Amino acid sequence: MASGKDKLLSQYRMMYLIRRFEEESARAYAMGKVGGFLHLYIGQEAIAVGTCEVLNDTDYVFQTYRDHGTALARGMTPTAAMAELMGKDIGCSKGLGGSMHFFDVEHNFLGGYGIIGGHVALAAGAAYKSKYTGDGAVTVCFFGEGSTNIGGFHEGLSLAGLWKLPVVFICENNQYAMGTPMSRTSPLEDLTLKAQGYGMHGDRIKGHDVAVVESHVGQAVERARKGGGPTFIEIETYRFRGHSMSDPAKYRTRAELEERKKQDPCAIAKARLLEGGVSQEEIDALEEAVEAEVENAVETADAAEPAKVENMWSTVYAPSSAAEDYVANYGKHFGGGR
Amino acid sequence: MQTQTQVVPIRTPEQSSGDDIPTVLQPDGTLNEAHDPKLELSEVLDLYKAMVRTRVIDGQLERLQRQGRIGFHIGSLGEEACIIGSAAAMREQDWIFPCYREFGALLWRGFPLQSYVDNMYGNVDDVVQGRQMPDHYTGRPYRFGSVSSPIGTQITQAVGFSWAAMSKGSDEVSSVYFGEGATSSSEFHTGLNFGGVMNSPTIFLCRNNRWAISVPSEKQTASESFAAKGIAYGVPGVQVDGNDVLATYKVVREAVEKAAKGGGPTLIEMLTYRVGGHSTSDDPRAYRVQDEVERWRKTDPILRMKLHLEKIDAWNEEQDEAFKKECEAELKACIKAAEAKEKPPLETMFDGVFAEKPWHLEEQQAELLSGPRAKDHH
Repeated sequence: MASGKDKLLSQYRMMYLIRRFEEESARAYAMGKVGGFLHLYIGQEAIAVGTCEVLNDTDYVFQTYRDHGTALARGMTPTAAMAELMGKDIGCSKGLGGSMHFFDVEHNFLGGYGIIGGHVALAAGAAYKSKYTGDGAVTVCFFGEGSTNIGGFHEGLSLAGLWKLPVVFICENNQYAMGTPMSRTSPLEDLTLKAQGYGMHGDRIKGHDVAVVESHVGQAVERARKGGGPTFIEIETYRFRGHSMSDPAKYRTRAELEERKKQDPCAIAKARLLEGGVSQEEIDALEEAVEAEVENAVETADAAEPAKVENMWSTVYAPSSAAEDYVANYGKHFGGGR
Repeated sequence: MQTQTQVVPIRTPEQSSGDDIPTVLQPDGTLNEAHDPKLELSEVLDLYKAMVRTRVIDGQLERLQRQGRIGFHIGSLGEEACIIGSAAAMREQDWIFPCYREFGALLWRGFPLQSYVDNMYGNVDDVVQGRQMPDHYTGRPYRFGSVSSPIGTQITQAVGFSWAAMSKGSDEVSSVYFGEGATSSSEFHTGLNFGGVMNSPTIFLCRNNRWAISVPSEKQTASESFAAKGIAYGVPGVQVDGNDVLATYKVVREAVEKAAKGGGPTLIEMLTYRVGGHSTSDDPRAYRVQDEVERWRKTDPILRMKLHLEKIDAWNEEQDEAFKKECEAELKACIKAAEAKEKPPLETMFDGVFAEKPWHLEEQQAELLSGPRAKDHH
């Protein structure tokens, strides 16, 4: 068991890694090395790190399309993540999923999902599997506040409450569903009132302090593991960047953003380390190591082989002669000779 | 936002008229003054007669289905009070969006019985021209929406409709019926949230009849009650004894008046019991014990009302028998007329979707009418 100081150091290291990874993702995107969409986790790092701290290796994690931070906190290497963004074969989804569709069986990270709220019902299904087989695992499902008005949310929470499934629903309320503030989509200010509609526990915290996240999510995970049923946790947070790289975030003021940046989870953790007697030199060394790790990830990913056409079939269908025929006959139309 | 939700557990039949749930009709035939809507005697008699008429029609249509004369019927045995009481509480300018178990509300609105029976037969005078199953009617002139079988879809329609009425500055309120099973549908989630955000004048009428086909209400949700689900949407939720027509009237009427003044939606859980099967295609003996049904028969909404009317000397057995005979005769005449009518002409199946028929439908229609089926039609 790591001491308090060592634990915070490792948590800070992961938060800083996520921050730097996301900044480099944005840079790679601007350079045209990343296709499709890109949703950054900057500002929300403490939630992924605090949550993953309390999970076992056998627990399951589901996330939305804003999934890089959670995947890294779960143990995915920055190289596998960056390579996925760049559509490379060594990416976590063999370069076929891209930013929104990370997947990592080894770390029980069961995916980033592009459909709003659709994965909530999938998470309830994974938790049902754990209850049915008695494997002792807990499922954690992240989603934004906008998802709470979607049918998949209603169906997933309704069944999880009814069957007392071992699942923790974490609503990362980052204030804007794309450009829509919550006041325009829900009559509630306190989303945990929704938990009552499903007969489950509710909890509500702020997400800028990794220790608070760890403690509250820890209680919910423990309850789920002991058969006490699901919990809905609303975590107030803020994304420092736009919804995606396509969003200049003109619906909020610069002053609001600057105010929120005073609650930067990385800065708060760093200040606490300094207060706790960790030297500036130690932190500098840690940050330099992270820089090197991210730089290496970018270089490795950039130099790697692109995604392979034949994987488009082998990652969907079990091996069969029909799939092989299909690749042989039609693969060329998709650049199969490459 | 503060909501005035009253949360009490789902009740057993014996507890269905507990002190914390509004109830008017007492077991001894007297009225609980605190919740009495204080209607005129003629109005009270109208409510009673509408319930009796509904039950007579239900019984007869079920027999017709068993005889193979109509294809299907979905009845309301035991739920007459919550259907008639809530329909009566809507004002003339208000709209009703049905589930599929509320023909009693349709007839209350003045829809001709002949037209309803024509719908059961899908004949030439059927408002939907025989294109739907029986009991899938529509009644726009009566401010009554269309029945659609998918669970919960009417909830979002009612919210949209009432929101539009509000936006136009009208004081029209819309009510919408659904069973407790529909509260697990995503349309309930979407509709209640939208109603809450927009403060639409919508009355959400949840008929908790304890059975979603074969799923009992306790296996439907972990929530303390169905009314309690309103909390999650900032919509006030209340429960009412749905086997008490006067209590139902009062609670729904208050919600309507509040909504008409801009006070927003209300979720009303009407506690009742489905004494019959889900529909004529269902045999509930396969999944529930008869003893449960017998216990619920003791809360019969019609008997409770009759007891009161007899107690105040406003009604007697003789009148009751005579009225039932009158209803039976009226229905019998409608059935006879409906059975004598033709089926809708074959070519009408191409009408009613496009304002101007596109060429490919013209072609299909011509092909159909020149084919062998057309010769034997009629």
